[in-house]
Amino acid sequence: MSGLRIAVPKGAIFADALRALGGAGLAVEELRENDRRLIYRLDGAEFIISRPSDVPVFVEHGAADLGIVGKDVIEEQQPNVVELKDLGTGWCRMILAAPEERAQDVRRAIDHAEVVRVGTKFPQTARRYFEGMGRQAEIITLHGSVELAPLVGLSECIVDLTATGTTLRENDLTVLDELSTSTARVIVNRGSYRLRNEEVSELADSMQGAKEYGRNVD
Amino acid sequence: MDERTPRKFATTPGTRDILPPESDRLVDVQSRVRERFRAFGFREVVTPALEYSEIIEEPKLRDASFKLFDPDNQMLLLRPEMTTPIARLVAQRLRNNPPPYKLSYSLPVYRRTGIGHGQSAEFHQAGVEVVGSTSAAEDAGTIALLAGVFESLGLQAGRDFNVVLGQTAFYEGYLRHAAPESGAEILEALAAKDLVGVGALSAGLPDEFAAGAGAIPRLVGPATDGSILEEAAGYAIGDEAAAALENLREILAHLEAHGCLEAVILDLGLIGRRNYYTGAVYEAYSPKLGFTLANGGRYDNLLRRFGEPLPATGFAISLERLLTVLPPEEPPLLVVLAGDSVDASREALRLRRLGVPVLQLAADTSPEMAAEYARSVGAGWICYPAAGDLDLAPIGTGAGGIEFETSTPEMAAEKVLS
Repeated sequence: MSGLRIAVPKGAIFADALRALGGAGLAVEELRENDRRLIYRLDGAEFIISRPSDVPVFVEHGAADLGIVGKDVIEEQQPNVVELKDLGTGWCRMILAAPEERAQDVRRAIDHAEVVRVGTKFPQTARRYFEGMGRQAEIITLHGSVELAPLVGLSECIVDLTATGTTLRENDLTVLDELSTSTARVIVNRGSYRLRNEEVSELADSMQGAKEYGRNVD
Repeated sequence: MDERTPRKFATTPGTRDILPPESDRLVDVQSRVRERFRAFGFREVVTPALEYSEIIEEPKLRDASFKLFDPDNQMLLLRPEMTTPIARLVAQRLRNNPPPYKLSYSLPVYRRTGIGHGQSAEFHQAGVEVVGSTSAAEDAGTIALLAGVFESLGLQAGRDFNVVLGQTAFYEGYLRHAAPESGAEILEALAAKDLVGVGALSAGLPDEFAAGAGAIPRLVGPATDGSILEEAAGYAIGDEAAAALENLREILAHLEAHGCLEAVILDLGLIGRRNYYTGAVYEAYSPKLGFTLANGGRYDNLLRRFGEPLPATGFAISLERLLTVLPPEEPPLLVVLAGDSVDASREALRLRRLGVPVLQLAADTSPEMAAEYARSVGAGWICYPAAGDLDLAPIGTGAGGIEFETSTPEMAAEKVLS
């Protein structure tokens, strides 16, 4: 195979990504999410394992030729890369949620264009959502366990990803709105897409996703 | 470090001091680029770093500009690019001369950047603009010039760089015909390089257009392989798309005449900045770099903004990016002549007259110290005046002994220059 370098995200879509790459005939059995190795040279191709939010960075800078990443990350970062293929896997939704008992208050506050405080890992996505509605929000960026924010009064609501809704239910959070849905995408560096189009397209074409897997982000 | 440097003595985020040898290399590349520009008859202009903020129309570029206010409280910006200032210059100053106006520049431009994105707030661009001609030969001429610039710097077409060429009017024309309603949305997705989005929107078009709308932006391949244009011809529906394809063919014919067709990759999905390019559009890439080395294309609508509806085409090279992909080069020749005697000054002059660059280290210093100094300034030799002759020694990189040889200035010059 090609000598392409491929960025594979840890976490929720790691297994989906491996399945897609394996489906394309790459020997990826050796890749392990929790291994200490960060880079694997297999079968002529190179794989790097990184945090999902770092995948677009590697690809945009050309440190990886292509990568697999959720549409949610692409929308948040808006990297300058070619979005080549929808794998259809790792389906999830970007939602606005608030604690059950205060949901009505939050809804009313948003309707009346009052400022609401929003905890999120996706500040740009949240900002665009509120600005797009002509509403005001104070956005608080967190890096994990966003559900905690409204429970302890850090924010009134959250913008976050959910697939099954389990974590939301466990924390008595109720969905107020759906901002968008997301699936795993193949992204390609702008140069690699043009200079190595044949290899890149062939690989992307032979990668198969499967619609039925929900992404476990909760 | 005993004391921390105060923050205000650092350079501002995104800017940097450029030191030798990198600065030497930058200036050297600039002069070689200028030489190529001149060989095509381009004349260099210098415009102010400050412009009224109104001259830049594109919201993204305006947002990315550094702004300040003049004494009349008018908003100014540091030029974020060079094409618009040159368009302004042509419209205001050159109206009485016959077109086309072939101008070049080599200047820094300024853009605000987020910290942590690995981008510069100040970077050097060199480029050309041809204003006042719609000819495909001008588009091809600038592409050939761009390829020529890269080649003159030791890069080989097809191996070290490629120029990726598209034609915005082809897909736009196709969509005006095939998707009068959703066309704008499809182009928006394509400008964001979201081929998944383009595919999804195309699938919603009537059957006879869905395939073309999805397939055209994915037509990518070497220009020497005729199959890309052949496939494109199958989608050339409507006058506009047909004319755009004809224009692309013409450009390729001229590029073949220029002998640089093997550098070109066609990409009919390349449209560049949304609503900016109106015809040919191109980007140069190196396999060593994930970013573009240069961008260019035809922008027939920009000059209208300045009251002169003139067609135009041109490109800008990112010099810092270009530097990162150039083959390594021998450091320039330099001799350090140690001594602060009148004799030393006289010997320095004699060597310079023989064509040897000489740095006179006006100090009474030991060979070891002189060698250390020579290494710090990238010189390959040290020498001392020796009663009409010169004691000359090459400097290795290691700590080995310094071995002087006494010779006449003429012989010394010959040795250094050989």
